Amino acid sequence: MEDLIVKKSPLPWWAAGLFLGLVQVLAIGLVKPLGVSTQFVVADAKIIHAIDKEYADQHPLISGEKYQKFGYGWWLDIGLVAGAFIAAVLAGRWKLRANTVWWQVTHGTSVAKRFIFGFIGGFFILLGARFAHGCTSGQFASGWAQLSLSAVPFTVTMFAFGMLTAYLVYPKVPKIER
Amino acid sequence: MSTHVIGLIVGGLFGAGLFLGGLADPDKIIGTLRLKDFHALRTIAVFVLVGMLGTWILELSGMAHLSVKPAAILAVSIGGALLGIGFGLTGYCPGTGLACAASGRIDALVTVAGMFIGALVFILIYPAVVQPIDAIANYEKVTLPEITGIAAGFWVVPIVVVGTIALILTGKKSENTGLIQAEK
Repeated sequence: MEDLIVKKSPLPWWAAGLFLGLVQVLAIGLVKPLGVSTQFVVADAKIIHAIDKEYADQHPLISGEKYQKFGYGWWLDIGLVAGAFIAAVLAGRWKLRANTVWWQVTHGTSVAKRFIFGFIGGFFILLGARFAHGCTSGQFASGWAQLSLSAVPFTVTMFAFGMLTAYLVYPKVPKIER
Repeated sequence: MSTHVIGLIVGGLFGAGLFLGGLADPDKIIGTLRLKDFHALRTIAVFVLVGMLGTWILELSGMAHLSVKPAAILAVSIGGALLGIGFGLTGYCPGTGLACAASGRIDALVTVAGMFIGALVFILIYPAVVQPIDAIANYEKVTLPEITGIAAGFWVVPIVVVGTIALILTGKKSENTGLIQAEK
């Protein structure tokens, strides 16, 4: 059984924020702003093209060139996974686990329950991200970096619904290491 | 260097930053959404402020590769709401979900599996549902400076200055005084 306390992050907020901001500047300076969620559609589109080429070729979205190749965005996501893995190992924080502290203080240790709601949550996350033309990276972080009009409604509804859902799903507050 | 290699490097740094900064930590995200633990919120704020300032400087020097998304107000609002529900339910978003799965969180892997199904349903309903909604109140790819006629600097400088002051003023309080007591 894990200790039910939310541990501090490896880096303080100002250092992490500065680092992430500079990564964004690097991305925009070299190729394109950060973004993650498009590649989920690219991966699915690749499979659909392989299974039902006729359907895919007539589809208004995935017939597009952007959804048929593994480009910069794809390799960015691969790098993201590798970078997080290496950072977790080097920080001594890589750990196999299937539940979170906040979830357990309200819902107990059942992993099955966490998985079911986690799966449903993932479904909404990506469906919503594509409706919105971007996720927390591409629409929120990159949107504000470029002062996009689209970032404004996105920020309002994402945080409003995110806070409301979290309030309903996670009523009990665990111990938080300061 | 090919853009693929650049993508791999930028992505690697991004993933490492998300993990080390606690954004790829569902407990930190839920703590922020519940307004009980402001670490993630502060990290995100600095991330956005530095990104905004840096992008503006790049733009002034003609070195920015921008990619502004279409302001399809209705579709973006619905999408933000759906993503928010999933975000508040799990503590993950697409990038941090991948990063968390890579750090050994099996529940994040399950959430990522849900994301692939979400992407599939998006593709399937795109012609009938998404396209019509996307056309409503769509202002195309436009920025706040363009639509208001107020130059970027008059947005960036005040936002960065006010944001930085707010972070400094609230910094000591949230960290040292135990502003938020653990319940239970």
